[in-house]
Amino acid sequence: MTLEQAAAAVGVSTGTLRRWVRQDVVPQFDGAWTPAAIGQARLVARMRERGHSLADIQRATEDGRLAFGHVAELFAAEDPVHSLSDATDATGLDPALIERLMTTLGLRSTPGLTDDDLELLRYIAAVLDAGLPLDAMLQLTRVYAQAIAQIADAEVRLVHLYVHEPLMRSGSAAAEMADELVELTSDLLPLASPMLDQLHRRLLAHFIEQDVVGHMESELELASDEVGRMRVAIAFADLAGYTRLTEEAGELHALDVVERFTEAVSVTLPDDARVIKTIGDEVMIVGSDPAALTAWAVGFQRLQTERPLPRIAVHYGYALYRDGDYYGREVNIAARVVARSAGGEVLVTRPIVEATGSELQFERIAEVRLKGFKGPTEIFLARPGGAESD
Amino acid sequence: MNRTFEIMSEDPETGPPLRAADTPQRFEFTDLDLVVNIRSGSDEEEPNLAWEWSDEVAWEPKVRLSMSSETANRYFQGKENMAIAIARRRIKAVGDVKAALTIIPLTKPVFARYRQMIADDYPHLEL
Repeated sequence: MTLEQAAAAVGVSTGTLRRWVRQDVVPQFDGAWTPAAIGQARLVARMRERGHSLADIQRATEDGRLAFGHVAELFAAEDPVHSLSDATDATGLDPALIERLMTTLGLRSTPGLTDDDLELLRYIAAVLDAGLPLDAMLQLTRVYAQAIAQIADAEVRLVHLYVHEPLMRSGSAAAEMADELVELTSDLLPLASPMLDQLHRRLLAHFIEQDVVGHMESELELASDEVGRMRVAIAFADLAGYTRLTEEAGELHALDVVERFTEAVSVTLPDDARVIKTIGDEVMIVGSDPAALTAWAVGFQRLQTERPLPRIAVHYGYALYRDGDYYGREVNIAARVVARSAGGEVLVTRPIVEATGSELQFERIAEVRLKGFKGPTEIFLARPGGAESD
Repeated sequence: MNRTFEIMSEDPETGPPLRAADTPQRFEFTDLDLVVNIRSGSDEEEPNLAWEWSDEVAWEPKVRLSMSSETANRYFQGKENMAIAIARRRIKAVGDVKAALTIIPLTKPVFARYRQMIADDYPHLEL
């Protein structure tokens, strides 16, 4: 690549690029503008945008703080050689839709499209041709983008925390660190895709099975008239007194407690239920069987002996499914009810009592006006079924 | 159950983690009036798990689980959720029940081998 092409790829003038080389902030440049050298120059450009001086960047380069940037050479940047109309010709997708897809995927940083972009759009066009409705495809794209972004972010952060920082603390030379990180990433990279593929297939099989069961069991129920709405059992669980625990025992201990809590939730859930998201110490769970999810909540509380004890609320109703998450009034009710519970309790609403039958015990404890809701909501305390109620 | 414990002890996915968990358990099968105490192997010479069909054992169980043999059969076939069974009183858990939470994921890999054993040798117990 010529100096002019390199400068365009980095987004600076040729004079700036020359000056950076003279000041040794692009040590990968050995007379030729290789992808590695351009990757490093891009890093310098980003640091400059964030206000760091060339002297700061030079010091960071010398002590190895930028060593991870060398890994960028494994991801050779492609030139955006295709226009929107090229992509439309190649895929049959509308230009406006292509722009929307690229934005949703988080890939809309350059004006043109690369070969890889085009390949991705061909896959999407094939999925649409196969018959998946556009709305579903757009939602799926958003879920893919969010999930993969989270994976990539975790990969980078974990290598940084567990490999790069220990190398820096050990006093390794910058070049040695860069070599080690590049070698490690070269070894790990080919493993990530097959691992994700295998995990995806296995989880897909599991959720297809759950969907089939859910369909069979709900066929007698009144269908919702709105696409994307489904009747689900929604549970929220969090740890009572978590903020105080963080203050008293420190963030690391509190984080450890949360990790054990969310893992305990995941491994004990009934087959039809899954963790939708976690926010701090709060876990949102959705399942198709309200009786099973409520019984799980009651049984889960019986397995808890240490403080902070969980608080759990379970509700049953129609929720709007969008982008891998559930929304709507009924979700809000479940979230509000958990705020009313104390550690060790499972609070539920009337639809849960009616769907669960006599296998658990329910005590009506209040009729409350939940924050943001006009009408009253009945709240029941759920306990194990049978004679003993200890 | 002896064969099930043997599978759990010998299976490379379950045996070593269960040994490392070091959580002595007491199972009571209420309908059969049978009690089994199970613990981790005490040294490298022993199998991963050791058990005795008696309460006369030289160790104290950390967790006491009481259930019918039917519930145990459902559990080992992967068709009984521990938390739900506790709520519905099909399983009674006493003692360090938090430790039971650690054991649950460790036993899951054995379900497929248990189902195979039932299909091969005890088809009347298939669910």
